[in-house]
Amino acid sequence: MNTTDRFTVLDAKTGKEISLAMEELWLKGKIMPVGAHLLVFHNFRSDENRPLELVYSFGLPRDAALRRFSVRGDGFRVRSELKPVAEAKQAYEKGIQEGHLSTLAQQYRDGLVNLTIGNVRPGESVTVILELLAGVETSDNGVRFRFPFTLAPCYHAKARMVEAEPGVGELELPDDEFGDLLLPRFVADASGLHRVGFDLSIWMPSPVKGVASPSHAIEVQNDDPQTFKVRLAPECDVPNRDLVLDIKTQEPLTGVLGGVGKDRKRHFAALVPSSRFGQRTKAPRRVVFTLDRSGSMQGVPLAQARKALEACLGVLSDNDQFNIIAFDNQVKTFRPKMVEATRSNLDQARGFLEAIEAGGGTELAKALTEAVTLLRRDEGDVFLITDGQVYGTEAIVRLAKGTETCIHCLGIGSASQDRFLTLLARETGGTSRFVTPRERVDIPAVDLFANAARPVAADIRIQFKDLPGAKAEPAAPSRVFPGIPLVVFAEADGTSTGQMEVDWEGENGRQRIQVPVAISNQPHAETIRLLRGARLITDLESRMVGTEESNQRNTRDVKELEHLSVKYGLASRAMSLVAVVERVGDQGGAIPQTRVIPVGMPQDTAFGAYFEGAGAHAFLGSGYVSASAESYEVAQEVGFSALRQSLRAFRPARQQELFESAQWELPEDLLLELASRLEPDGGMRGGDDEQRLSLTLVALLCFLAEGHTVQCGTFRSHVERLLKFVKNYPTAKLSDDQRKILSAIIALVESGRSLPGNWFLTAKAFLEKRPPTSGELWKRLQNEIEKNAYA
Amino acid sequence: MNRTDTTDELTFAELAAKAGLPGRTIRFYIAKGLLPGPVKAGRGATYGKEHLETLRSIKASQAKGLTLSEVARRLSGESQRQALRDPIAWWNYRLAEDVAVSVRADVAPWRLKQIRRYLNEMAAGLGGKMEKTNEHDR
Repeated sequence: MNTTDRFTVLDAKTGKEISLAMEELWLKGKIMPVGAHLLVFHNFRSDENRPLELVYSFGLPRDAALRRFSVRGDGFRVRSELKPVAEAKQAYEKGIQEGHLSTLAQQYRDGLVNLTIGNVRPGESVTVILELLAGVETSDNGVRFRFPFTLAPCYHAKARMVEAEPGVGELELPDDEFGDLLLPRFVADASGLHRVGFDLSIWMPSPVKGVASPSHAIEVQNDDPQTFKVRLAPECDVPNRDLVLDIKTQEPLTGVLGGVGKDRKRHFAALVPSSRFGQRTKAPRRVVFTLDRSGSMQGVPLAQARKALEACLGVLSDNDQFNIIAFDNQVKTFRPKMVEATRSNLDQARGFLEAIEAGGGTELAKALTEAVTLLRRDEGDVFLITDGQVYGTEAIVRLAKGTETCIHCLGIGSASQDRFLTLLARETGGTSRFVTPRERVDIPAVDLFANAARPVAADIRIQFKDLPGAKAEPAAPSRVFPGIPLVVFAEADGTSTGQMEVDWEGENGRQRIQVPVAISNQPHAETIRLLRGARLITDLESRMVGTEESNQRNTRDVKELEHLSVKYGLASRAMSLVAVVERVGDQGGAIPQTRVIPVGMPQDTAFGAYFEGAGAHAFLGSGYVSASAESYEVAQEVGFSALRQSLRAFRPARQQELFESAQWELPEDLLLELASRLEPDGGMRGGDDEQRLSLTLVALLCFLAEGHTVQCGTFRSHVERLLKFVKNYPTAKLSDDQRKILSAIIALVESGRSLPGNWFLTAKAFLEKRPPTSGELWKRLQNEIEKNAYA
Repeated sequence: MNRTDTTDELTFAELAAKAGLPGRTIRFYIAKGLLPGPVKAGRGATYGKEHLETLRSIKASQAKGLTLSEVARRLSGESQRQALRDPIAWWNYRLAEDVAVSVRADVAPWRLKQIRRYLNEMAAGLGGKMEKTNEHDR
């Protein structure tokens, strides 16, 4: 952290320095495969002539809990105490009344936290260092870490919103549900706000292949193959988006992390890659695609989500059933009941998607209720695409869990609702992923859908052998999906060596594997213990739907939450952190001036989508459509071009040089287009049978060229269905040469090998309705196959 | 604010308890200009029953759906109409020969889309076609 050059913001008109109550927020800590142990430095300074009370509001990351904080200032350093909420607030108020520097960290619903520091004297600088534990998104080959540097305004039916002054929005929530929570002012232009930055270390149990960020420019330094340091490349940044880091490992994450905790128990997390559970089951799918079309989705997010769903439709075969729901305040359903994925239904579904426009609030509960009604509680999944910008999420999680329907979530946005969507998916047995606006949504959507509908293992049961007192807590997931490992958190009393027995329902009945558990005394044993506690607390909080007031009563949930907080030494909605510093010269009685620290609007959320009057000037001029178009262009400039550049940087050669035109600029664009044109029989859409076969072969070669096979890659479900079509094609219609070519291509697909050649150009020609003649194409295929000795 | 009855004097803690509000919320209201500061500043700071009444009035206004900024404008003497943003322009939509609807022009974009969607439905139900006429000031 650079603390020598003080950050200043100048007024553009007067050139005078603007006083900021919070100058800087800096993130430090360590990221591991199953979670992160973080320290957040908040630097406060008062340039006013009266004492200040400063309130900083933030949202917790996924599976996160506050552990403690310390307050540092001139001549003092004090650590927080963990107390029941009422006692902590009482101690804080007493400290304020007596003129002492008092700090309180209180958690509310939806993982929202108010960090309040009162009686900051004129000219005084104070640093609050907040320690917290947070979960990460673990995949077989790496980790995605996400930390909120800002807070998104969200939808609530009873929320009150106003544009308090130009470009500054205020949002108030009903106190019967959110108590005395104070939300920040949301500032359209974040450039004048406090600076943010980070300086993190990464440790993985297997060598790291690379570290990248779709949200920030980073500098990476590796100490050894498993340990990296990553920091913000510029000196500082603004608080208008989450930090997102992607850590890829060379080998699948596997093994046991942990050791002996302070309570002398063994605390560990076992990672079992999904590949150990075999192949996925191939039952027909029943899926309800549920698309958020609320106002905050307008622009790029909705356009991408729509494209993603079109590609997902291409995965469906005619024995699958589907439906589509688009929701804002109202729920619009494609068909009144589930329909088969016939060609006619898929065509009409695409028309339904094209007509969807963004607008309205986010009544997610209504949409999920409708989705479950459509599935009629039979087998089936809900596939949800949303920015998750909604308050009161506990009620939604409880409702969803009660339906016993599996919900898979794809989150979109630059400000994290990752916590909510992770809980929603986990509590219903589904999977979730959260992408930033700088990434494309469509590819992760297709990937998630390919994984989500077919778990590789179900009804998982865990038992321990030779580990006295061992128990998995929190409960292990009941299902494993392709690409996502089984992560089991557990504790044991005595010995450090034993076995974890995993038993599951797989493709061929019940199967079992033994995972050796050898708990060495690793330095992060205590972190594993705390991560377990944070998960247990988050899971319990997600079920607490009552109002803040009722939760203060001695309900069973509150007592359980207090017990967990005390056991793990972590704050929760039932227990807060408080510290009072008695400084020399403190005088009671004065009322400090309360200031709420503003945050930047998430960079992909239109200010006018939430705050009244934001679009007024545009309306009265050329109309809001032009305002939307402008924001779309900005988003494209910031988002897509950065994405394209980053994708190009990661992709050394292959087909990218072929993509210079605006349409299908990247290979993925064309693959998505091809994927969206699959017919229910698995073949490509086309004029006659011969043209359908030709384009299907070319499509297969395109997917192979980009590494998508039946076994792996985002489009593996599409490849599988294309292959099925080719295998079932009536060869009686073909010549001997054509049959040989067909067999050679089938062999290529089954072995996952590609065939050299500019197949993307050929595919483009088909899509642009200028296909090569049948004779030309078969000749080219024959030449390439013979040249590469595949025949 | 003048106190006439010294028995009405309340400490900050007493005011918070009587109003049923956390101390921080009351300080926040003072900082926002919703509530005047104490009658007597310093160690012996006191508050009067007017403070208590104002706090109750704020709660009642919030329950009616007003934001704190709107409450502040009301308390400072502005009428409800003045509290709305200026200038106030209105879109005028004709749904049928005999039906016209005015919509505030400064509503959020998502809200306007939603309103237009329902107006279209209403126009269709009335056998007409929605047409936007000129905006006007009120």
